[in-house]
Amino acid sequence: MSRLKATLKATAATTLAASLAFAPGLAAASPLGSDPIRLVIPFGPGGGSDITARVLSATAPEFCGPRIDVVSMSGAAGLEAVNFVRNAEPNGHTLLVTDYGPIVTSGFVDDVDWSHDDWQPVMNFTEWLPTVYTRPDHDIQTIEDWMEAAESEPGTITFGHASPLGIVHLPLILLEMETGMENVHVPTSGGGETRSMVMGGHIDLGMTLPASIASEVAAGELTALGVFADERSPALPDTPTFKESGYDVALPAWLMIFATSDVPSETVEFLQDCFMEALASPTAVAMSDRVNAGIEPLNAEDSARLYQNTVDTIGSILREIGEID
Amino acid sequence: MIESLLGGLYLAFSPEVIMFVAVGVFMGVTLGAIPGLSGDMAIAILLPIVFFLEPAAALGLLTGIYKGGMFGGSISAISFGVPGTPGSAATAIDGYQAKLKGYPNKALNTALYSSVIGDTTSDFVLIFLALPLAIVALTFGPVEFFALYAFSLLLISALTKGKVAKGVAMAALGILLAMIGRDPIGGSLRLTFGIPALSGGLALIPVLVGIFAVSELIIQLSRAWMERARRIVDDTKRQAESLLGDYDASKDKLTFREFRANMKATWIGTTMGTLIGALPGAGSSLAAFISYGLAQRFSRNRDDFGKGSLEGVAAAEAGNSATSGSTLIPLFAFGIPGSATAALFGAAFILMGMTPGPRLIYDHTEVIYALFLILIYANLINLALSHFLLPLYSKIAMIQSRILLPIVCVLAILGTFAAGNSVIDVWVLLFAGLLGVVLRIYNFPLAPLILGFIVAPGAERALRQALLIGRGEWTHLLSSPIAIGLYATAAIMILTFTVLMRERKDPTPPAAGKEGQG
Repeated sequence: MSRLKATLKATAATTLAASLAFAPGLAAASPLGSDPIRLVIPFGPGGGSDITARVLSATAPEFCGPRIDVVSMSGAAGLEAVNFVRNAEPNGHTLLVTDYGPIVTSGFVDDVDWSHDDWQPVMNFTEWLPTVYTRPDHDIQTIEDWMEAAESEPGTITFGHASPLGIVHLPLILLEMETGMENVHVPTSGGGETRSMVMGGHIDLGMTLPASIASEVAAGELTALGVFADERSPALPDTPTFKESGYDVALPAWLMIFATSDVPSETVEFLQDCFMEALASPTAVAMSDRVNAGIEPLNAEDSARLYQNTVDTIGSILREIGEID
Repeated sequence: MIESLLGGLYLAFSPEVIMFVAVGVFMGVTLGAIPGLSGDMAIAILLPIVFFLEPAAALGLLTGIYKGGMFGGSISAISFGVPGTPGSAATAIDGYQAKLKGYPNKALNTALYSSVIGDTTSDFVLIFLALPLAIVALTFGPVEFFALYAFSLLLISALTKGKVAKGVAMAALGILLAMIGRDPIGGSLRLTFGIPALSGGLALIPVLVGIFAVSELIIQLSRAWMERARRIVDDTKRQAESLLGDYDASKDKLTFREFRANMKATWIGTTMGTLIGALPGAGSSLAAFISYGLAQRFSRNRDDFGKGSLEGVAAAEAGNSATSGSTLIPLFAFGIPGSATAALFGAAFILMGMTPGPRLIYDHTEVIYALFLILIYANLINLALSHFLLPLYSKIAMIQSRILLPIVCVLAILGTFAAGNSVIDVWVLLFAGLLGVVLRIYNFPLAPLILGFIVAPGAERALRQALLIGRGEWTHLLSSPIAIGLYATAAIMILTFTVLMRERKDPTPPAAGKEGQG
């Protein structure tokens, strides 16, 4: 840890020296000027998106030029942040960092004045793999247990997820669509409430992201049933995927940086390059490991493909359950 | 064990760490005292500092801000009648009345001592009783939470004699206002009247500041306007002589006798605050209101409540500050962040590479021991620093309101904007101010409105979760002994309160009595 701190201090010193010595050179190479870059997140501070964005804001100024601020705007269920970025000057200084909820799902179900095509991905941080879990003394301990219990008494298993149609709810809907099983859906205020209801015995199952339960699962205080992904999660190597159990249901949630589509492509390219470079730096890698962020950056092109796929998948789920026409 | 304790001591009492704690306390008190800004916001903004400081120093700074902010909120609650933080909304009820009577210093000192007593006790509970209390906290599910919220609403609505009907109406209005926005269960929009900006609901801080501060400003301004002609003629000279009016600081000292008389209320607040703080999701404002309500029920001078009772200030402040240690209990015991503050501390731990949860204390023994020590001695720093600052603050409180209130309101509007970066919040603030004016003119109690607004989201979620889990059977709400106990206590308290009050002295004609039962 102290080595990391030394690196950080060194980095800060280098940045300072570099900006003093090469300030004009940098400005010429960068289409960005010296105004700070704002990474706007549509969630409250302290969550996974905030922590991940802060790894970038701490390391990227050295590569991108200007200072980088993380701004949290959770108002209007995240739409305030989205609208703020949408209405900002399209110069690459105001970017949105979000999972698919406030942009893909909201773009379908909410009354917004933008469409999915009005956004272009700059890069993708990571893919979060939604995971079903319960307490270790519960009857249901595996995906098979769950399926059997749901078959013998349909509609009795209570399942806690965060906000409706969010990233830890849609996978459950998708699974029910695939298998025809029924559960009682219990929305909660978030991962903390789901967890205390599962641990206190008030509900049967819950869904969350691997990083938040990995250490409890390793210590045997929680059981992870299955992961909604094609591959197992590195944080939960012993937890099977639903695919392995014969249910072809995968719905990872990415965390992506977006610019509006009217930001010039050379600006987006510059941002992509300097962000990717920053995240590949030893400091950023050490930080990412330390905070369990699991950052595996994707460039703009791959992110755009991922984004388009998600728009298609979420669109078909929402059509199927009658949320949209 | 001994070695890590010594290591913790060494970390906690290094000059650098002590300095960060003191700076944090000072920042917290100051920010907490500005309506709209709170310690939580400062912690959120300063979170990245953990990348650059040693863990003990970073945690010291955050702890200091948190504790200072917890107390700082009561400064503006007492001085201007504007709760500086949501947690101090209950403090404003009696604290502001005490100030109007010319005793801001007494009220501020009462708030400080009860805050520090509540907070320190709660920290000891966190250190020694975290696990057992956390296990108890987990038995609170939707059924129990709904009972707790219903209990608190009844308790506060029935606070004022003869105003029970108005109290219940205000609680209902608060709940209604809180329902604007997105349905927490179905996810659909409701009561937004087609205004997209309302889809996230009304934010707490602008509603709070608007109802308390902006309405007060409007009333003061209109009063000043009406008296203007008269004043200009004969008062200008006298007012110019003294900025402070006729405030006499020497009569405004908290005596030991008064301090002792508040001890019962302080301990009620400390107990309730510690217990409620340990429940994930309940929060410091709920703890303050419940403590206030209970202290009134058990007080010998019940009728003084709402009229500047120091006991009322003591109970509310002990109640909100006593959540500050115990709110970390679910985080330490299970890794569950039970409040916004706990979530921020959790994030700080994660950023430092420490995973919150039961392993925390084993994996990072020295840092956690240091944190425990910091939690305790930060209270002493808070006590010393605030003791030094309070005479100054109480003088500020007595600056004439026509000068003070506009400043407070500008700070409130700026603070509100800074809190959410949102212009809508400023509009909400102004509308809440107008609503506050109407309610004040017709003598409606504001506390039930605020409590209704604060607990409604949790209460609605708990009710509907309970009904989902119980497959729509309403009897499921009575399926837990804790819930039944809470409902029964509420019923008994309301009954004895209304009956007792009527028997003891009821000089008013039956008409007022009827309202009292409503």
